[in-house]
Amino acid sequence: MKPTPLRATLTGVALLPVLAWTLFPIYWITTASFKTELALYAKPPQWLFTPIVDNYTRVLTNIPFVQYLKNSLVIALGTTIGSLVLGTLAGYGFARFRFRGSEAVRFLVLVTRMAPRMVLVVPYYLMMQRLGLLDTYTGLLVAYVSFALPFSIWLLIGFFVDVPLDVEEAAMIDGCSRLGVLVRIVIPIAAPGLVVAAIFAFLVSWNEFLFALILSGVEAKTLPVVIAGLNTDAGPLYGEMSAAAVMVMLPNIVMTLVLQRYLVKGLTLGAVKG
Amino acid sequence: MAAGGAGRWFLLPGLAFLFTIDLIPLVYSAWVSFYNWWLIRPRDVRFVGLDNYVRLGVDPEFNRAVVVTTLFTAGAVALEFLAGLGLALLFAQPFRFLRPIRVLLLLPLFVVPVVGATMWRVIFHPEVGVLNHYLTTFGLGHPPWLSDPTWALVSITLVDAWRTIPFMFLVIYAGLEVLPAELFEAAAVDGASAWQSFRHITVPLLTYIMLLAVLIRGMDAFREFDIIFVLTGGGPGTATQTIQILNYRAFGLGHMGQANAIGIVTLVLVAVMCFVLMRAILRPRGAAQA
Repeated sequence: MKPTPLRATLTGVALLPVLAWTLFPIYWITTASFKTELALYAKPPQWLFTPIVDNYTRVLTNIPFVQYLKNSLVIALGTTIGSLVLGTLAGYGFARFRFRGSEAVRFLVLVTRMAPRMVLVVPYYLMMQRLGLLDTYTGLLVAYVSFALPFSIWLLIGFFVDVPLDVEEAAMIDGCSRLGVLVRIVIPIAAPGLVVAAIFAFLVSWNEFLFALILSGVEAKTLPVVIAGLNTDAGPLYGEMSAAAVMVMLPNIVMTLVLQRYLVKGLTLGAVKG
Repeated sequence: MAAGGAGRWFLLPGLAFLFTIDLIPLVYSAWVSFYNWWLIRPRDVRFVGLDNYVRLGVDPEFNRAVVVTTLFTAGAVALEFLAGLGLALLFAQPFRFLRPIRVLLLLPLFVVPVVGATMWRVIFHPEVGVLNHYLTTFGLGHPPWLSDPTWALVSITLVDAWRTIPFMFLVIYAGLEVLPAELFEAAAVDGASAWQSFRHITVPLLTYIMLLAVLIRGMDAFREFDIIFVLTGGGPGTATQTIQILNYRAFGLGHMGQANAIGIVTLVLVAVMCFVLMRAILRPRGAAQA
């Protein structure tokens, strides 16, 4: 279908307010990172101003930002991989195999996501203390995989059940194992689902604050804890906070740009005919 | 549908991991909720049975918090779902600059929640906030965003929507992308209108994904803390005092039994809410999906 001029116009009209609403705060954070605090509160709001980089230099020199960036990246990537592997296996298991009580187990998976994190953090702390995993990557990683996994499983069930059974059966007749079918056929067809699961697993870890605060000391501290630290007793250091937030946003944008080419339709096209 | 045997090897790793990591803390928390345990009086830890729960049941402040939390959740999720679905349908048709705009729309997800909320507080500020500056300039009034009880609830809903419409959009959009295009082509050949295609192809095939997006957002909104804490701290008065704000306060005061009881009640309320919603939406169709 080719977009008609009328539809293109309507799309634009519908998108503009949404984009303005979505992007204005982002714009505000970004410009705030290049402003003095005085300029941030200027009245009328300043759209043109002389940018300063002091906020960035202060963040980069006053705190070991690069070290914390590395912590955040390692833990977020680990969370993504862990929850994708476990989520794909379990999602496929639920989508293709029924057993007594499978609906109840599936609901229980979701229930693990329903408790307030505030309540879980104390017993989790005690558990990790017993295991000697406080202030380690593993301690946070395990928590975050458990946060991300229920959504990954449920989402992937939805994408896997729609994969045509005939294709899978054909492959098995040709000698492919169950796991082979999953890797070679089901995953490519359900790719958009995996992309979404990956993005959200990454973000669960990347943005999480409470567990990172309680479980990490010096070694495994992640960026949200550092940024929240800029919210001092004397009030938030808006400039530095914005600068840190902008730097924290960049890896996510890169990840989404890389992943979004798999967010395309068409792989099911022609897979089943007749 | 294959027989059960091989399935367990797919399910076992994930489920064993999940239930070990999450159920142990939950059981601990449930156990503590039956005790009277105030951190200030460590010698006076007593088993009190359901006392903590009974106290919550008759506490007007807690009951009000349940109402506030439910209002916030319902409002936020409805707004986010409609906006997310609308955007997903819009993006399902190709248009120019689709890819860069798609990334731009996702940006709010990437802002650390605490920072996003802090910035919104600046934007909402009655004196120096940029929002009211322009609203006043264009003669659209001067809403007391965070200082009026009703507006405060609206404000936290708007900020939550700002943050999570991209989530709804992305989940539903990915669901749309894997629907077989042949169905829509066949329907178009048979002369179906856009509305008919949507009503009779998209909605039934996408029910599961849409339901999941609503459930996940629903349980997150019900447990939302960061945004509300930063924006209003539960105020003005008790206008935005949600269950999580009370929970935080109970922990802060060191009332461990009471705080854990609030947590367990939250879990039960969320579970019931999800269960009812799933039944209502999946059953009439005979659980055809999944």
